[in-house]
Amino acid sequence: MRIYAIAVFLFLYIPIGIIVLFSFNAGRHASELRGLSFQWYGKALSNPFVIDAFVTSLIIALSVAVLSSLLGTTAALALQRLKGPLRTFFDGMIYVSVMIPGIVIGIATLVALVTVFDFLNPLLATVWPEGVKPPKLSMGYASVIAAHTLFTMSLVIVLVRARIAGMDRALIEASMDLYATPWRTFYQVTLPQIFPAILAGFLLSFTFSFDDFIISFFVAGPNTTLPVYIFSSIRRGITPEVNAIGTMVLAASLILLMTAQYALHRRAKR
Amino acid sequence: MRDQSKSGNWLTAALLAPTSLWFLFMLILPLIVIFVFSFGERAAAGGYAGGFTLEHYANLSSRLKAFQNTMTIAPLGTLVCLLVAYPLAYFLALRVSSKFKLILLVLVIVPFWTSLLVRTYAWIFILGGRGIPTLLEFIGFEGVRLINTQGAVLIGIVYGYLPLMVFPIFVSLEKLDKNLLEASGDLGASPFKTFWQVTLPLSMPGIATGCMLVFILLMGEFLIPAFLGGGKVYFVGNALVDLFLQSRNWPFGAAISVTLVAIMLITVTFYMRMFNSKSGRDESLM
Repeated sequence: MRIYAIAVFLFLYIPIGIIVLFSFNAGRHASELRGLSFQWYGKALSNPFVIDAFVTSLIIALSVAVLSSLLGTTAALALQRLKGPLRTFFDGMIYVSVMIPGIVIGIATLVALVTVFDFLNPLLATVWPEGVKPPKLSMGYASVIAAHTLFTMSLVIVLVRARIAGMDRALIEASMDLYATPWRTFYQVTLPQIFPAILAGFLLSFTFSFDDFIISFFVAGPNTTLPVYIFSSIRRGITPEVNAIGTMVLAASLILLMTAQYALHRRAKR
Repeated sequence: MRDQSKSGNWLTAALLAPTSLWFLFMLILPLIVIFVFSFGERAAAGGYAGGFTLEHYANLSSRLKAFQNTMTIAPLGTLVCLLVAYPLAYFLALRVSSKFKLILLVLVIVPFWTSLLVRTYAWIFILGGRGIPTLLEFIGFEGVRLINTQGAVLIGIVYGYLPLMVFPIFVSLEKLDKNLLEASGDLGASPFKTFWQVTLPLSMPGIATGCMLVFILLMGEFLIPAFLGGGKVYFVGNALVDLFLQSRNWPFGAAISVTLVAIMLITVTFYMRMFNSKSGRDESLM
């Protein structure tokens, strides 16, 4: 049994190890290892397309993480006071947003937004004062951020709600009994208790958005995110440069995940 | 008192407003639009041009292969995932000291949250021309082709979604009352019988959750068949990407999306019904 477990762990980690190893390849071909060097990292980091894609991904992932933590936490707090059909409705929506395939969300969002924009743009042009260039709505940062946030917001709601359910109600009652205002009770009692879940939600949202390919592929408009860039590079052929970028992406998500795990672990200990 | 509950209601509404807007504009509206479009005509330059027709649904058979592949490989992949994941989850939950349990579990889950794209393309490397086939040539098996086969797609699936299967099974095994296992042993049941009659039934909720999560994700899979199926083994997701980006046939793509979601809803509802009635019976037996 132990041997089986070791085999599965090897299965999980050898492919990652191979990418990392080949990213240090000194040779020009992806599949032949000829000595070790950092040259492909240098090459990747001086490639303006890579840097652009990285910055785009970073802006999107950060916005998604901030938005989802805010929306998810407020919604989770409000939902605990909600009962009846409305509660069922929200639970259903959360369930659907987590479960629906990314490809369907990507396509549906693309089609819906393009249609809405096609309808709104001429309207805006007529309404806009003359001489001023009317704004032209199109796919871009906002559409990817909004589409990612649908999933990650629901994820934060689930995480925070689980934490609220495990919270000691007596503390809140004690705070009320000691004449703390509701706001102060929230700030000094509730928030510190749910904070680890919010932090974990923030980091998971960031990771999801940063790693997502299929939704960004459809709704990012002219912006290229890092996964979209990697995808099109792989289509042209695997180079050690792609391995170097892949390794950096893996490393970035690993660091964030370890932080998220640490936050959740602290939560479990409390 | 009454005032307070009223202001409380306002607060609840205000806190839920942004989330509601999100669900409305990013989930409900797009799903309605895609549903409506699936009955529309295709514009000459691609895109959508009003009207009402069922031709796209009638035309679904032209993508039959994609649906067939999805409907066979998704359940098969889920099953293989389960078979690989269960022993590992069992080992982690019941055979590892609590000191290492958490670390090992985290090690299983971490890959799931890193880039699926990068992890999947690692397998292009391993299964491709200069990977395992070259190694096999050394020991005398020539001309073995691994990439762009159903097997390659299955390996990619197990690799990508194993963590998602291990986690719920681990949780249900971990919760299981260890006294029951001891009691079964004390009453003379063989380890195999204990597993079959006590452990396995009690871990059913975890198995059900894991299978559902993996199956749902596989139904909409695009990356794994795109990288490891090489145009030969393709899913509905791949057909959709082609339609939307290459031929820009929106109404037909919409019809395929609607069909995919409908198949998923039916399967999942059926599956949950079946499982709930089953577990209900188990509970009544206890």
